[in-house]
Amino acid sequence: MPASQPDRSERIARLVSAARQGSEDALGEIVTELSPLLWQVARAAGLNSSDAEDVLQTVWMRLLTHLDDIHTSAALTGWLAVTTRREAWRVSAVARRQLPADTELLSMLPDQGPGSEEQVIIDDQRRILWQAIGQLSPRCQELLRIVAFVPRPDYAAVAAELGMPTGSIGPTRSRCLAKLRALLAGDLEGSSR
Amino acid sequence: MTPSDADGITPADESLDEVDLKLLDGIREIFQAADPMPTDLPERIRFRLALRGLEVEVARLAAEEHQPSLAVRGAEMSRTITFDSDSLTIMIRIDPNLDGTVRVDGWLAPPQRREIQMKNPLDSLTVASDEQGRFAFARVPRGTAQLVVRPEDSEQSGAGRSVVTPALIL
Repeated sequence: MPASQPDRSERIARLVSAARQGSEDALGEIVTELSPLLWQVARAAGLNSSDAEDVLQTVWMRLLTHLDDIHTSAALTGWLAVTTRREAWRVSAVARRQLPADTELLSMLPDQGPGSEEQVIIDDQRRILWQAIGQLSPRCQELLRIVAFVPRPDYAAVAAELGMPTGSIGPTRSRCLAKLRALLAGDLEGSSR
Repeated sequence: MTPSDADGITPADESLDEVDLKLLDGIREIFQAADPMPTDLPERIRFRLALRGLEVEVARLAAEEHQPSLAVRGAEMSRTITFDSDSLTIMIRIDPNLDGTVRVDGWLAPPQRREIQMKNPLDSLTVASDEQGRFAFARVPRGTAQLVVRPEDSEQSGAGRSVVTPALIL
């Protein structure tokens, strides 16, 4: 999958240009490609499923009037993520403003049924990662959750657009990722003692 | 040109190393498993986008009831769904056919002759309602579908606006 990531970004850029020229199919493919990201954006803002669906519908409709200004995959992804988050906040402010608490995040982890040895190892790694994510600030949880769904070449641009705090390690290595790595390193040390 | 370009942050990820990328992959897998997007959502959004530009009224789901179906034995249920819009109420009853498709019987209130289109992702079927506002689709494939109620003669002025329902699962 990682090998196809740069292609994904190029493909999206081509679809945007086709959609701007009125191709319904290209627009539809963009919807299929990027809705999973926007779903996470809306859900990370605390919306229930049906509000999240409404927000996605609204954002995609609104994109149609902005297509002329958007030319790259990064610009598209950034615009969609930021607009979705803003709309999700608006909707959740109407209902109630609530970010998912750490406990809610943890309770979302799927039940681990009996699995193969390989599956047990994967589940174990996921559990460790999940618990580390749960120790991050709600803001870092939200940002990493969103950025993880962004096409890889667009990570940096989208993270910057979402206001992801960057640290001294590198211009795009965010403090959130650095914190996560520190937590995981601590966890591994702890378990090897 | 994104704001991040203007700030001089290169839109590339050289400074994210393999560990970072693996972590982001792991985070994506976790949330994909824990909170997956409904699989048919993109399809429903595509439906909605395809209808833009039409001057339409969007009907809202007003009621849905389930009754045991008389047509097919087993657990299959017959569903009655009502949609409301400003100008029209659309009621449909969905019954399973033995061949795996469904039959859709519908009524418009107030009763009127209209062109009724049933759109699904692959194609669409069109029937007309009679003076009592009744219409029927004998065999419709299961899956996502959407009804569009058009003026009987759209050329005619004052023929009324089209009404669309939200996408529904047959």
